Amino acid sequence: MDILPILSTLRRHKVTAALVILEIALTCAIVCNAVFLVGQRLDNISTPSGIVENELLQITANGIGDQPDAHARITADLAGLRQISGVDSVTMANQVPFGSSSWNSSIKLSLDQKRPTVQSVTVYYGEDIPKVFGVEIIAGRAFQTNDYTWFDDAAKSGNATFPKIAIISDALARKLFPDGNAVGKTIVTGTNEVRIVGVVKRLTRPSIMDYSTAGYSMLLPIRMTMSMGASFIIRTQPAERERVLAAAVTKLKAMDNRRVITEKRTFDDVRKAYFASDRAMTGLLIGVCVALMIVTALGIVGLGSFWVAQRRRQIGVRRALGARRKDILRYFQTENFLLATIGIVIGMVMAFGINLLLMAHYELPRLPAIYFPVGAVLLWLLGQVAVLGPALRAASVPPVVATRG
Amino acid sequence: MLKMTHLAKVYRTEVVETYALRDFNINVKEGEFVAVTGPSGSGKTTFLTIAGLLETFTGGEYHLDGVEVSKLDDNARSRIRNEKIGFIFQAFNLIPDLNVFDNVEVPLRYRGMKSAERKQRIMDALERVGLASRAKHYPAELSGGQQQRVAIARALAGSPRLLLADEPTGNLDTQMARSVLELLEEIHREGATIVMVTHDPELAARAQRNVHVIDGQVVDLAEDPRFHANAHLVGANS
Repeated sequence: MDILPILSTLRRHKVTAALVILEIALTCAIVCNAVFLVGQRLDNISTPSGIVENELLQITANGIGDQPDAHARITADLAGLRQISGVDSVTMANQVPFGSSSWNSSIKLSLDQKRPTVQSVTVYYGEDIPKVFGVEIIAGRAFQTNDYTWFDDAAKSGNATFPKIAIISDALARKLFPDGNAVGKTIVTGTNEVRIVGVVKRLTRPSIMDYSTAGYSMLLPIRMTMSMGASFIIRTQPAERERVLAAAVTKLKAMDNRRVITEKRTFDDVRKAYFASDRAMTGLLIGVCVALMIVTALGIVGLGSFWVAQRRRQIGVRRALGARRKDILRYFQTENFLLATIGIVIGMVMAFGINLLLMAHYELPRLPAIYFPVGAVLLWLLGQVAVLGPALRAASVPPVVATRG
Repeated sequence: MLKMTHLAKVYRTEVVETYALRDFNINVKEGEFVAVTGPSGSGKTTFLTIAGLLETFTGGEYHLDGVEVSKLDDNARSRIRNEKIGFIFQAFNLIPDLNVFDNVEVPLRYRGMKSAERKQRIMDALERVGLASRAKHYPAELSGGQQQRVAIARALAGSPRLLLADEPTGNLDTQMARSVLELLEEIHREGATIVMVTHDPELAARAQRNVHVIDGQVVDLAEDPRFHANAHLVGANS
């Protein structure tokens, strides 16, 4: 291979070679980190909720003025919604996965425990949530009708009417009881002891701060009233969603024309709204990466074309001395490979540095080692593709050029 | 060694055909030192580029070392250039970014020769032209005569059957030209076949045989009427 003579040649063109190396290094450093950030955002966006997202609708309504007989009104509302053709089940829930606000509690394993075992577990209230949300119960049982109490009663009466049982998510169960079955065990939420009667496979929290604990959730047998941001959750067939949503809004208004519908959306809209900023950031980062790579590729094409023009006579001489077209092609590809390799090595050091900065200032995790070879391969490929045009032009220089002045 | 029969080279544009060589016949035997002379534009350099397989020709036949070359593809032509032909150009054509050693090494690398053999051949060739001590110098650090000696070393390193020289002393002063010519004569005495294109009568006179090219054809000066109209050429073709 012509590596040593090529390196010797590059040493005599230090400035131009250094510029390309720097360009490749910067691109490598930024692309490695950007691809890592994009990967993280995409992981976030694809976080499973554990619920039947394509069957659910959410309607939030607020009453105007006094709302007497809240229990009766909500019971009537739910009954009215169930009458709509296509409605499978319905509940009023305090929150939904990927919602913008969340209800949380710390969990201890005993009343006298000083520090909670889990600092923040999201708590779902609402009748028949496992059934309406389509959450799979993988151990124990669902709540029964006589397990439920009303939210305002539980809130007013303190510990006396607070539920004594709970269902928790599998992720939380594994965290609290890593060695065994959680069903039948007692935990403490706030100052209330509750016995775990069931475990659901997955139920993701709203307002996720830390995706590693996004699956820590608990359900309590509490019926919600139309307060504190609670909303109607309707389950229907995917194809029926738009029609049922419109019918449900009409029905709710018909049942109370003073009611104001503040939000009506499918769960697809919930997810879309929640991850809007992640998608925007992903698009921005991909755009920056693509733009950087295009600029780098153009730099390589420019330098390659310049060198081919500058070395045209030299290429003719090489051809005259016996170089085949593929030898000339390989020369320029090897030269680019060497420049890219030096750039990539420097770029990886820079990528590591940028990552340290991001870790210090934005609490990002360490850049996994896998991104270094990914970045290297990407930049090598980019370099080879970019230099191909100039290299093919070089390979087409005829040997007779050697004799022309 | 080199035989061209009724060879033609035509440059065509949309409106005109220009014959650079027409019914060109030449036969150079192994071990000969032939000077090809002629006025500017006569076709000498075209002959050399075709002889060196740097260009294709339009008609006729060309046998090089017994091989009819017109049907060879680009790779085969490259291989013949690399293995059988050594080039010495007027402008030296050294690669300015490579030192003397690396310049001489260029054709050997394309031959796929092992490193140890390459090194041996390069040093032998540089010894022969008296520049072994300049192996690490770059062309810009050498005089014109030394650069041409490096070019000769590069041509010799591959042990070619045929040396093609295009005005090898054209860019040199008299003293340097003389030393380069003496080197070529020495190489010839050792058995090399040399074809040298030149318009320098003194240089041509040192060759074993002169071939005269006028208007793209080899001519016998004694019989060609154009020669009699251009008496100054006599000196060039003694």
